[in-house]
Amino acid sequence: MTFAVGLNHFLLLGAFLFVCGAVCMATKRNAIGILMGVELVLNAATINFVAYAHYNPIFQVEGQVFALFVIVLAAAEAAIALAIVLNFYNNHTTVDVDTAEELKG
Amino acid sequence: MMNLLLLFGEHPGWFFVVATLLPLLSFVLILLASALWCAGRAYRNTPGGAALFNLCGGEERGRTAAFVATGAIALAFVFSLVGCIRFSVQQHSFETAIKQHEKALHEFAQKLKEAKGEAKEELEAKAKSEKEKLEDQEKRWADARKTYWQGHFDWLRISPKGIADADSGTVLQLGFKIDSLSAIMFVMVTFIATLIHVFSIGYMSDELQPEVEDHQVHTAHGHLHRRGRFGRFFMYLSLFCFSMLNLVLADNLFQVFLSWELVGVCSYLLIGFYNERQSASNAANKAFITNRIGDAGFILGMLILWTHVGTFNMEELFQRVRAPLNDTHGAVEGVAGRIVRGNLDPNNTTKAGQRFTIANDGSDVLLFPHRPPEHYHAIVPRVAENPKPDQHGSMPYWMLVAAGLGIFLGCVGKSAQFPLQVWLPDAMEGPTPVSALIHAATMVAAGVYLVGRCYPLFTYDALLVIAYTGGITLFVAATIAVVMTDIKKVLAYSTVSQLGYMMLALGVGGWVAGLFHLVTHAFFKALLFLGSGSVIHGCHHEQEMTKMGGLFPKMKITALTMLAGVLAISGIPLFTGWYSKDAILAQAFGFIYVHPQHLLLFLLPLATAGITAFYMSRMWLMTFTGKPRDEHVHEHAHESPWPMTVPLIVLGICSVGIAWGWPLWDAEASFLEANVHHAQYPAVLADFGHIDYSLSEHHGEYWVAAKDEAQNERVFAYRNHHLAGNIAFVLVAIGIVFAGAIYWKRVLDPAEAKEQFPRLHAFLMDKWRFDRLYSAVFVRPCLIVGHWFAAFDLRAIDGVIHAVARSAMWVSKWDGLFDHHIIDGVVNLVGNTIYGVGARLRSVQTGFLRSYVLFLVLAAAGIFLALAYFVRMAMAG
Repeated sequence: MTFAVGLNHFLLLGAFLFVCGAVCMATKRNAIGILMGVELVLNAATINFVAYAHYNPIFQVEGQVFALFVIVLAAAEAAIALAIVLNFYNNHTTVDVDTAEELKG
Repeated sequence: MMNLLLLFGEHPGWFFVVATLLPLLSFVLILLASALWCAGRAYRNTPGGAALFNLCGGEERGRTAAFVATGAIALAFVFSLVGCIRFSVQQHSFETAIKQHEKALHEFAQKLKEAKGEAKEELEAKAKSEKEKLEDQEKRWADARKTYWQGHFDWLRISPKGIADADSGTVLQLGFKIDSLSAIMFVMVTFIATLIHVFSIGYMSDELQPEVEDHQVHTAHGHLHRRGRFGRFFMYLSLFCFSMLNLVLADNLFQVFLSWELVGVCSYLLIGFYNERQSASNAANKAFITNRIGDAGFILGMLILWTHVGTFNMEELFQRVRAPLNDTHGAVEGVAGRIVRGNLDPNNTTKAGQRFTIANDGSDVLLFPHRPPEHYHAIVPRVAENPKPDQHGSMPYWMLVAAGLGIFLGCVGKSAQFPLQVWLPDAMEGPTPVSALIHAATMVAAGVYLVGRCYPLFTYDALLVIAYTGGITLFVAATIAVVMTDIKKVLAYSTVSQLGYMMLALGVGGWVAGLFHLVTHAFFKALLFLGSGSVIHGCHHEQEMTKMGGLFPKMKITALTMLAGVLAISGIPLFTGWYSKDAILAQAFGFIYVHPQHLLLFLLPLATAGITAFYMSRMWLMTFTGKPRDEHVHEHAHESPWPMTVPLIVLGICSVGIAWGWPLWDAEASFLEANVHHAQYPAVLADFGHIDYSLSEHHGEYWVAAKDEAQNERVFAYRNHHLAGNIAFVLVAIGIVFAGAIYWKRVLDPAEAKEQFPRLHAFLMDKWRFDRLYSAVFVRPCLIVGHWFAAFDLRAIDGVIHAVARSAMWVSKWDGLFDHHIIDGVVNLVGNTIYGVGARLRSVQTGFLRSYVLFLVLAAAGIFLALAYFVRMAMAG
């Protein structure tokens, strides 16, 4: 029995990473942790793009381009998010997101 | 004075116009000055404001107004006097010449009867040239009157619709026409008014204070306090004088009517001068409303004349209604100067119009062209709608009677004749100088003056109505005056009575007598009123004679001057009243001589002459002689200051001597009467016969024109002048003796007489129950009808309105409920629902980042699952 690594494995890895990121986002109270979760979710998506680009020749270019976009986007997002976190810290002397409840309805 | 005499050179009539306008000027000045004074008062502390304030009288504005008004009327008197002198001089020179020619003509006529042959021809030629001279002289006098003493200008032009032509349409004019009557009236009015102004400066001095306390008005805080109204009083007086002078000046009925109404307004303002007093305000209303009734008649009369004769100008009216004395064929025979009655014959028409047959009981009156007096061919042009003044025409006889009675009704109101006499005694509420002005010179004189002025418009029937109205009035008023105890009320009723004399005289053909009495009466009535004012002022506004008595030693000047007035009004020989009252009685006597069925017209004035003497003596004796009835009043009584006594003395002298002539003892020789005589209309002579004094030289022969001697009232009046006068004098003497016996010597007790005839006394005290009658017949029914209307208003009209309102309220109530519950309900339901949803959704937004992420993830997973499911279904399906 040969164990060939195929598209499904990559998709499963992406799903696993997505779930890890989502759980991380939902459970962490530390803003940095949440950012990390976000990175994981984004990387899950990137893995999917790259996997599809590899196994489906129709998406060969588009998948890689989107992967690159996501990386760039992630970098930009991280920069902005970190800026928000820094400001939040300046105002609240904490990075606990549960204290940020001004938008409560 | 010479310069003044020559003023206005060719237009001496302007003397009278200026005299008329002076009081108007003073009125306007005072009015403007008071307005500016009020405006400047707030700024009187700034330099400009102070100048304005002081210019308009400053703190002394009342006194300034009085001086302006008095100065204006005094100047008007000077102008009137100069005008009157100029007129009289001119008139005298012409009339003397005319009389000389007439006399010569008369002598030629006498000689012609006997002469024969050549002498006759010579005489005829002389007579002819004399006649030409006479006619020339008459023409010149007529021309002089027209150019010197008349004038008018167009005031309002009422053009027919759509025509803007300046000469078309009817014109209302302002004009003046002076004859010796209006000249004398001018002098009389301005003279008396001047004295009354001077008197008022003294009498009204209380009003000079900045604050006056009116003891007769009670308010919640005691007596009423108000500002003094000295200036206002004189302003009203000025307007009053202007109105009266304009009335005398006017040459057309419309102008007369204007002044007529102004006089009414002024009397209203002055009678109600103390307008805070209920009685004064009621009296003013009563005077005004009563006069309105008369004025309605006046307007009707004017409109009838306007419709049928086509002009307001009095001279043109007279020329239209009365037959001319001469026409193109020479002297008019038989009907000269008379109203010509006849019938229009509809079957007998010619090209020019319908033929007119003269008949004494005809249904129509012939209207004559006023210029030139063409000979009458008994043909009336067929133009009926638009009366043309230069053609013969006709109008229904009863219309002319109605016009005359209408004008007379106006005079009845103004001159307080029966049945409209009720306002005059109430008018005593005004200040006493006003009463003097109303009673002597202005208001009540206007009515008599107008009857005299419009004399040619009155038919025989109308004149009879006038005579009887006067007869009833003079008797009724005199009997009431006997029982009155208020000094002013006695005088008021005596005025009504004397006005009745004048009306009676005018009605029975005593045109000169009536107007002569108007002038003499003005002097002694002004004197009596000012005298009573002096008494009232001296007794601190006590008017009841029952509280006076024994005032002679305290007020000698007032008492003596009033005595002159009393003797004058009683008709004691050589006093003014004697001349005029005898003339009236003589005329009435002449009238009943020809018309014995009207005997009452002589008996009433005769009896009243005695009654007049009685009540006037009673008034004087009760006031000035005997023991004081009220010690308090008597103690404080004092003689009045000089501005009040001087007019009294002047008027006293006039009351004695204004009617004198030479010889003094001749009742016919009065200079004033002779002057009034000049103004007499030819119509009077045509209706009641003619006596030529120039030929008789007062004693001796008279001759008669236009009327048959057997039917000539004036002939009998002239013959019996002294007889009538002597009978009257006996009655006057009895009256005076009677009054002396009761109130001076106390031989008879008035209280006993009162007890003897309690019902008569009550009847007289109640003024013949006229006020009650009017109250029952007019006022109460009016009020009852008014109440009915009010009830109808309250019940029917208000009921309907209330019902409508109630139903509207009911509908809107339901409408409101619908609005509130249904429409608002829907809107609220929507709102509430949205609110509820929002409130519930609110809990979802927790503010926790992590829970959002959870939702996000769950939603993403949900979407993913749903997509997977749908894709599966689509693939399978």
